Amino acid sequence: MFAGVMEQRPELLVSAAAGDAESFTALIEPLLDPAYRLAAVMLADRASAEDAVQEASIKAWRKLGQLRGDLESLRPWFLSIVANECRMARRQRWWSVLKLPEIPPSESTPREGGGSDLHRALLKLSAEERLPLVLHFYLDLPLDEVARALRISPSAAKSRIYRAARRLRSDLTLEEVF
Amino acid sequence: MGNDNFRREIGHVFDEMAGSPSSALPDRVRSSLAHVPEQRGPYWIAGLAAALIAAVVIGVLVVANPLNRPANTVAPGAGTNSSPTPGPTPGPTLSPEAPPNPQEAQFVCTGGSAILPEYAQAPLPAVIDAVRTGTHAGYDRLTIQIKSGGATDVRATIQTGATFTRSPRGDQVTLAGKNGILVIIHNADLHTGYSGPADIKTGYASLVEIQTLEDFEGVVQLGIGVSGAACFRMFPLSNPNRVVIDVQNAS
Repeated sequence: MFAGVMEQRPELLVSAAAGDAESFTALIEPLLDPAYRLAAVMLADRASAEDAVQEASIKAWRKLGQLRGDLESLRPWFLSIVANECRMARRQRWWSVLKLPEIPPSESTPREGGGSDLHRALLKLSAEERLPLVLHFYLDLPLDEVARALRISPSAAKSRIYRAARRLRSDLTLEEVF
Repeated sequence: MGNDNFRREIGHVFDEMAGSPSSALPDRVRSSLAHVPEQRGPYWIAGLAAALIAAVVIGVLVVANPLNRPANTVAPGAGTNSSPTPGPTPGPTLSPEAPPNPQEAQFVCTGGSAILPEYAQAPLPAVIDAVRTGTHAGYDRLTIQIKSGGATDVRATIQTGATFTRSPRGDQVTLAGKNGILVIIHNADLHTGYSGPADIKTGYASLVEIQTLEDFEGVVQLGIGVSGAACFRMFPLSNPNRVVIDVQNAS
């Protein structure tokens, strides 16, 4: 779906830049699912994740004129806005978001079986450590897109992915990660 | 394990954490976008106006000092940098700056967990300088006091049984009690400001033991042994910053 929209992107982008919200929505809609997944993992709260995606969409709409680059820049650009929105959500005063009943048990309760060690290890990572893993392994972004989303160089992105992966499994080699 | 296996396994865990977005999300975004196009104007004008207004307001406040009080006034015993001496003290009371009625937070029981998100992206880790316990009518309380720093993401998860895994050594330890609560604090440090015991046996009805499971590379894990059903609530208090975990007494 995203590829299909990307093919029409130049026309949609022209319309969106001219102020057509429908065109912008058509551009952004295929990205809402990965954006939500990114936010849900960073915030560990599904309702807050949807709030963050909504807010990021509005900001992307307002900042559309700042979008630079080729045809494939839209996804990392939008995901970087989502990640920033998540950071802002997490910077709220520590007591301001206390949602005990809203935390699904499965989010923090280790599962039975073989995957529980990895689950536990992922929960021990900070949101910033999880971010490159989500982008690369979960959303399947190539290294250069991860780098653009994180606003760092590809080699730095590779390093951050590897470092976070090693925090999950200390015996991982570079070849096993990439 | 190859790249594909690792990718598949990690993707599976992330899938479980994230779930799927609600079907209403696209409509919600579409609707919100439909109401903002008029705001896509020349923002620098609005920004400049806002900056000028803010400068005028700050200038007036600085000159007039309407509250007429000296700067740096700190009430005795208040502030995040106070309380240099950890040790047994009475249980925490609700400070004026605490959120309204934090103790109205509901107790969560079997299979439940609670999260206090980080409140700042501070470069320095949260330095824990006191771990206190107390018993109250209906619940026993654990208070974790944070002297300085930030970026604290606190998770507490109930588990069946009181056996925990210590990290990084990986061995297991069984605390007193039938069930447990695992508390994970990210970007925190229990060895700089805290000099109390790593294992506290309380003798209370519900919260019977607390033991440090990890204090390594910015992650602090505490295991709590609970005598009965592990029902707890977690909330923060301010001045000084504290994380409070109340374990409900079995009725």
